[in-house]
Amino acid sequence: MSATIVLILRLLLVISLYAFIAWALITIWRDQRQQALLLASRRVPTLRLRVEEGETEKAQSFDKAEVLVGRDATCDFVLENETVSLHHARLVYHHNQWWVEDLQSTNGTFLNDERVYMQTVLISNDELRCGKVYINVTFG
Amino acid sequence: MKLPFSLAPTPRDQLQGRLLSLAAVFLLLFSAILTLSPAVRVHGWNTSLRWEHWIGFLVWVAGFAFLHIQSIRWLPDRDPYMLPVMALICGWGLLTIYRLIPEFGFRQTVWLALSVGVIWAGMRFQVVLQMLRRYKYLLLVGGLLLTAATIVFGTYPGGQGPRLWLGCCGYYFQPSEPLKLLLVIYLAAYLADRLPTVFTLSEHLAPTVILVGTAALLLAAQRDLGTAILLVSIYTLIVYIASGRRRILIIAAVIMLVISVAGYFAFDVIRVRVNAWLNPWIDASGRSYQIVQSLIALASGSVFGTGPGLGSPGLVPLSHSDFITAAIAEETGFLGLSGLLVLYALLVSRGMLTALHARSNYRRYLAAGVSVLFAVQSLLIISGNIRLLPLTGVTLPLVSYGGSSLLTASFAFALLLVCSAHGEEEPAPLSQARSFTLVNSGILAGIFLVSLAAGWWAFFQSGVLQARPDNPRRFIADRYSPRGPIFDRQNNPIVLTEGQRGELTRNTVYPLLGNVTGYSNLLYGRAGLEASLNDYLRGLDGTPSSSIMTHQLLYNQPPAGLAVRLSLDLDYQQRLDNLLGDRVGAAVVLNARTGEILALASHPSYDPNQLEELWPQLVQDPDSPLLNRSSQGMYPLGGAIGPFILARVLATTDLPALPAQLSYQAGDQVLTCSGPVSDPPTWSSALVNSCPAALVAASRSISSSQFQDLHRQLGFYTAPEIEMPAAPPSAAQTPASAALAAVGQTELRVSPLQLALAAATISNQGVRPPARLVLAVQTPTEGWVVRPGGQSTSVFTQEGVAETALLLANPDIPIWETVATARTEQGTITWYLAGTLPNWLGSPLSLALVLEEDNPEAAREIGLNVFRTALPSE
Repeated sequence: MSATIVLILRLLLVISLYAFIAWALITIWRDQRQQALLLASRRVPTLRLRVEEGETEKAQSFDKAEVLVGRDATCDFVLENETVSLHHARLVYHHNQWWVEDLQSTNGTFLNDERVYMQTVLISNDELRCGKVYINVTFG
Repeated sequence: MKLPFSLAPTPRDQLQGRLLSLAAVFLLLFSAILTLSPAVRVHGWNTSLRWEHWIGFLVWVAGFAFLHIQSIRWLPDRDPYMLPVMALICGWGLLTIYRLIPEFGFRQTVWLALSVGVIWAGMRFQVVLQMLRRYKYLLLVGGLLLTAATIVFGTYPGGQGPRLWLGCCGYYFQPSEPLKLLLVIYLAAYLADRLPTVFTLSEHLAPTVILVGTAALLLAAQRDLGTAILLVSIYTLIVYIASGRRRILIIAAVIMLVISVAGYFAFDVIRVRVNAWLNPWIDASGRSYQIVQSLIALASGSVFGTGPGLGSPGLVPLSHSDFITAAIAEETGFLGLSGLLVLYALLVSRGMLTALHARSNYRRYLAAGVSVLFAVQSLLIISGNIRLLPLTGVTLPLVSYGGSSLLTASFAFALLLVCSAHGEEEPAPLSQARSFTLVNSGILAGIFLVSLAAGWWAFFQSGVLQARPDNPRRFIADRYSPRGPIFDRQNNPIVLTEGQRGELTRNTVYPLLGNVTGYSNLLYGRAGLEASLNDYLRGLDGTPSSSIMTHQLLYNQPPAGLAVRLSLDLDYQQRLDNLLGDRVGAAVVLNARTGEILALASHPSYDPNQLEELWPQLVQDPDSPLLNRSSQGMYPLGGAIGPFILARVLATTDLPALPAQLSYQAGDQVLTCSGPVSDPPTWSSALVNSCPAALVAASRSISSSQFQDLHRQLGFYTAPEIEMPAAPPSAAQTPASAALAAVGQTELRVSPLQLALAAATISNQGVRPPARLVLAVQTPTEGWVVRPGGQSTSVFTQEGVAETALLLANPDIPIWETVATARTEQGTITWYLAGTLPNWLGSPLSLALVLEEDNPEAAREIGLNVFRTALPSE
């Protein structure tokens, strides 16, 4: 009698242990899937770059998190101006912000006429200057 | 009424609450089983149940309900898995300690309550994280000083042992426990301060190498090598995680290998441990006792485990601390141990995840360090317990008994929990994630490997290990499940099991048969019939296997043993024992037709009921009372070969003239008759007294190779097929000469049982019967089942034995007889062989008697009295 009760309890003991483990693993798996979906659906605010002077006048919008600016044709935002280096500057999105970073360009990168030495946060309607080219930055 | 873990403002809290509830259900079931376990062991309610561990359970519920609520308040963003996993591991350990040593359980409950306080304080005062960072050197040096203090002031709480504790007023504290955590904190703080700058190995690691090296040397000096290894491993892994340079792993592996090899030759402790690991079976009762017992415990648990409270995990030394894995594996089985390993894997994985998401490098390295500390320490000790690695004397974190260990682990856990609450803040920039994933995968692979190895012992080696003679569980079963009784042929008890389940004792009712029935004893093993009939007496043979399995599953006990009926007759036995008295010798009386042994004496004997008191004397007694001389005593034949020479010769020819000189010169010794010969000497008188010259003369027609044939036919080269330990028989060998064989001067040695069976041929028409001792066993399904006998062998012709019996006949009672002496290295022995005459109408009897003294008169007197009382007067 006592042995049968204990046998049933022992069975439940194993079940409860593995229920704990299974519950933990299932919720971890669910959580990870949800985070993956969340990350996939997280949109980078559209970055709009506009140059309004003379022959280099152009405007372009970007949906990705990293934008390379320079004279080289492989850059995302190409500036046909001899004061602009081949790979001049980089705009990246992280920590919920757009950041600008100078890529050791010859003539320097300036944000609202301040030289950029390290990664600096951008806000909408900032004025970015690469060499002698002024770029208007907006996003939203 | 609200359930303890029901407070849940957010889904995260709800998840934590649910997991804690499941953990509580597990521990509730564990406690309930533990309470009922005594009733299961004795198959009834007539026993006292176990209640003491419920205090531990209640403290656990109260403590973790409090922590649940406090964690919601102070750490709303914590990892919801950590607290339940830690709680489950901790509670499981606590209940296991209660199960092993209730007194330690109470103490551990106090430590658990304090640990809850420590975790709460960690959550409430999170500034402690920064304080630890600031005072890292002070703390580490403090830890080192305390550890160094054990060299001078160290004690061992349990008496003799490694002096690794500092004690005062009944409380003990092991400084090497917090030292591990202090090292982790120090490394996290140091690396977080230094690493953003350019990282060069030599410059920046120099201070840490010095500090860790000092710590490791201190511990090595204190012979706490397990902790020393742990420190170096943790150091290596943390530096690797932080720097991401694989070179560090390789360098550390090489250094550890060199140190291990050097340590093997320099330190005795290491050599013992490594040898015990490489080959535990050689010294299983000595240096590798712990590990072998641990493996046997693992095997006893098998897959499902015996159930809490139903195994015997206390048999493994230190099962409450270093070997608690063995206790858990025995009572919850491979399933339980694997579950525990998965819980550790969960805790470590969540810790590593916390490290990746940490908002500062200090928190990152701290979380990774604490996770690595938990992982490496559990892997080291569990692997040591299951012989995957050599044994390292560290505790199983959160499970093993010990205040220093539990408090340190709890504090480490609190730090981990605080680090996991990173909120919405972005993780600190991470230079590389590879080292984190690599270490985490390595740990998970290690845990998987440990689980595989445990499965190997618990599943594939289970039978072999459980059957080992040094498995005490086989004897403990005798206390709970009755061993079968042994009866004589009239169902008079010889050995019985008495008492209540749980306190069953074996009572040898007829103690003079002690060295025949033997013993089944926890300390001294099994001997005699208790050993050879163990499978019947223990119910493992003759019981349906379904019944054995049911008993094993329900009670972790074998079923009740089977009763065994022997061919012995206690009437004969008593008379024979009285006649033999205090003389040293043995006698076998058997039914010459069926071979059933009616009486079996070997003197001196001992009382198995007093085995434990008598043991020291018994093993030193020069008269070897433990030896069953009737089947294990091997004696030279001497003139006792006489009747068989006659039976062979007289079948075809007559005897020649009796030689005038009856003594015989064999080599440098003169052999004489065993007793006075009639005047004038007759063949009859000369043969009854085994006169050597007469035997040589009678056997002239038998060559030495024919003597070898005769020995073989008489069964002297084979051990009797009987359920009783017997000495190995002599090897078949052609005697050096026929004359020496005729006077028994050969290498041949025979036991009284062999000779009694040979003597049966004279009383049984020349046919040698098979020996029989066990007549029947009482099976639960078919009642008494008769055991089949062996084959008879025809040795002599009827004419041969009839003539022999006539020549050797006693003038007063209807028997034939021979008295012979034989020389051994220790002195002279006396044989007396006799049997009923071939024309006897009752059951034919034969007797072989040996006295370890030169006393033919006494031997003859005893032998004749056996027949006088055994034979009905005509």
